[in-house]
Amino acid sequence: MSQIENENKTGSSAIPKQGRRFDPIQRFLLSNEFGLIVLIVVFAIIFSTVSPMFLSKFSLYALGRTSAVNIMIGFSMMIVIVTGGLNLAVGAIGVCAAMAGGWLMQAVGLHWLPALMGGLAIGGLLGAVNGVLIVRSGLHSFVITLATMSIMFGVMIFLTQAESYREISPAFTAFGRMKLWGVIPPMLLVTIGIGILLWVLFVYSSLGRQILAAGASPAAAELSGIHVDRMIVWCHGLSGVLAGVAGFMLVSRTGAAIPSMAGQLGQDWLLPAFLAPVLGGTLLTGGRVSVLGTLLGGFLVTMLTSGLLLMQVGAFWMQTYLGLLLLLAVLLDLARRSYLSRNKLV
Amino acid sequence: MKREFLKQDWFGPFIVTLLAIVIVGALKPSFLSPFNIQILLLAISVNALVAFSQMVIIAIGQMNLSVGAIGGLAAISFAGMMEIWGLPWPLAAVLSLGIGLFAGLTNGLLCAYTGISAFVITLATLSVFKGINLGITEAQPFYDVPEVVKWLGNATMVGPIPWLVVPFALSAIALWYLLFRLPLGRSVLAVGGNTHAAELSGISVPWIVVFAHSVSGLLAALAGIMLVARLQLGQPSIGDDWLILSFAAPIIGGAILTGGRVSVGGTCCGVAIVAIITQVLVLFNIDPFLVQVVLGGLILWAVSVNRIREVREQRKAAAGAS
Repeated sequence: MSQIENENKTGSSAIPKQGRRFDPIQRFLLSNEFGLIVLIVVFAIIFSTVSPMFLSKFSLYALGRTSAVNIMIGFSMMIVIVTGGLNLAVGAIGVCAAMAGGWLMQAVGLHWLPALMGGLAIGGLLGAVNGVLIVRSGLHSFVITLATMSIMFGVMIFLTQAESYREISPAFTAFGRMKLWGVIPPMLLVTIGIGILLWVLFVYSSLGRQILAAGASPAAAELSGIHVDRMIVWCHGLSGVLAGVAGFMLVSRTGAAIPSMAGQLGQDWLLPAFLAPVLGGTLLTGGRVSVLGTLLGGFLVTMLTSGLLLMQVGAFWMQTYLGLLLLLAVLLDLARRSYLSRNKLV
Repeated sequence: MKREFLKQDWFGPFIVTLLAIVIVGALKPSFLSPFNIQILLLAISVNALVAFSQMVIIAIGQMNLSVGAIGGLAAISFAGMMEIWGLPWPLAAVLSLGIGLFAGLTNGLLCAYTGISAFVITLATLSVFKGINLGITEAQPFYDVPEVVKWLGNATMVGPIPWLVVPFALSAIALWYLLFRLPLGRSVLAVGGNTHAAELSGISVPWIVVFAHSVSGLLAALAGIMLVARLQLGQPSIGDDWLILSFAAPIIGGAILTGGRVSVGGTCCGVAIVAIITQVLVLFNIDPFLVQVVLGGLILWAVSVNRIREVREQRKAAAGAS
């Protein structure tokens, strides 16, 4: 019986799908990324007409710097979401990596480059520990990273006694304040560079394809010879490194490594971490990723935040708007998907 | 009979709690002083409601990240309504409970009727509720809490037992009765155990999800109100640090995160264990920052124990079947 069903399934997938077929341009117009670009343009027009300040050099520069960090946090979460899991410890790992870097610079007196490498290594290590715990215990990543976010943050606070490291090497902070051609922060270029690397990883490398396969269907991937467990550890490790990069960007921007820079237990990073990939169309069940979508999603969120702040709607209400935005995004995505499938557009 | 006893979810945590009390009491007699017991009971009363609020959602196999945000919103509405509108405290308390119920209801409706995972929904509503809280208070606490409320939050009833134990004990009994004696509660557990089977046996799954989230909101609001009475002010930051605790206690109490299995007694023991450890760190002058580490470690330890038990039971069931 099951054999017949299987044959039916393979048979139907071999036949070209019913409905209209699209060339690449039309497909792009129907995609999530295009929707995000439209939204970004529309909001940019609205904000710049309401408040001319929005297009000032200073405002654009600040927007670029903040979005660089938010997009990076989004990437860090995206890489774990791809495997069908999630990583609540993104904020905790990011702060731990940044604090380790601050310690290496201030207490050990290292040059900023080895300190940066050391901090990122700590981030990767902490992420990999999460991955190993998840794989070995067979428990869901939610509960493991919930526990480790508490442990990592607690150990970090205990070791640093909640003190900041303020003697960051000037060359490193100069990077965070540098302006290219008056408006472009080099941080944004770093983020875009890492985005391109991630895109190459997922689209062209066999490792990336294996990660996607492991996320889409772990059982099927295992049967076709992919080490699913190894992929999960890899992704968590990479997520830790990227969280560390985001942490270092904040250090470079503020000129100090502050234990509370991601809030209690790093919880403040959770919302941007999920907003960017979810807006960008990365499936929470795993197996599908859009690096460009995450980049655009993170940028849209940052733009909305800074635009609303410029319109003086009250900084205290900001969190409410971001929450509503996340709700709206998932609901719209749901509606779009059911519309597309109802009209056989995909 | 004896073996039945050993199999109960709450038995392990209960023994650990007893052992902890005996050991700490022997090492530091001041641990068992009436004043210390009163402090301990105050902490347990509030934290247990936070844990119950999460436990109800764990029972249906979901999670609620917005427990703290709902509690905080209810807390500042309670204090704010008394200070700004001058409402009598029972009315303010009922209205704040209503706000909690409504917030939970919103969560439930969104989870049940959109099919989006509870994680994303409650992450979004966490931010919405917290934002409303900050928008109303502008991060400033309400200081003007009536004397009666302050008294209720800290006065003792008999010996070292504070009044705040009353709402805690009542909700514990009510929850136990609901989950394990009423058909409605059995449906909640059935949905958590196997959603598909529950649906096939005629349970309205969306309704149960909405119901569980509403109860969760109500309990979180109650915890927030009790914390206002205990702290004697309406802090906007109430609820910020509930997330880890709300998961730790039910998990220590033997709850399984995939749903269908929770224990009211076990959760109470989980709360007690966390409270005792926090106290011990203070009594022995150990760095209080380590509380977070211990909490995280406890969660890891408890989930592994639960997992081992689960696997063993599955094996036993498989052996019995063959």
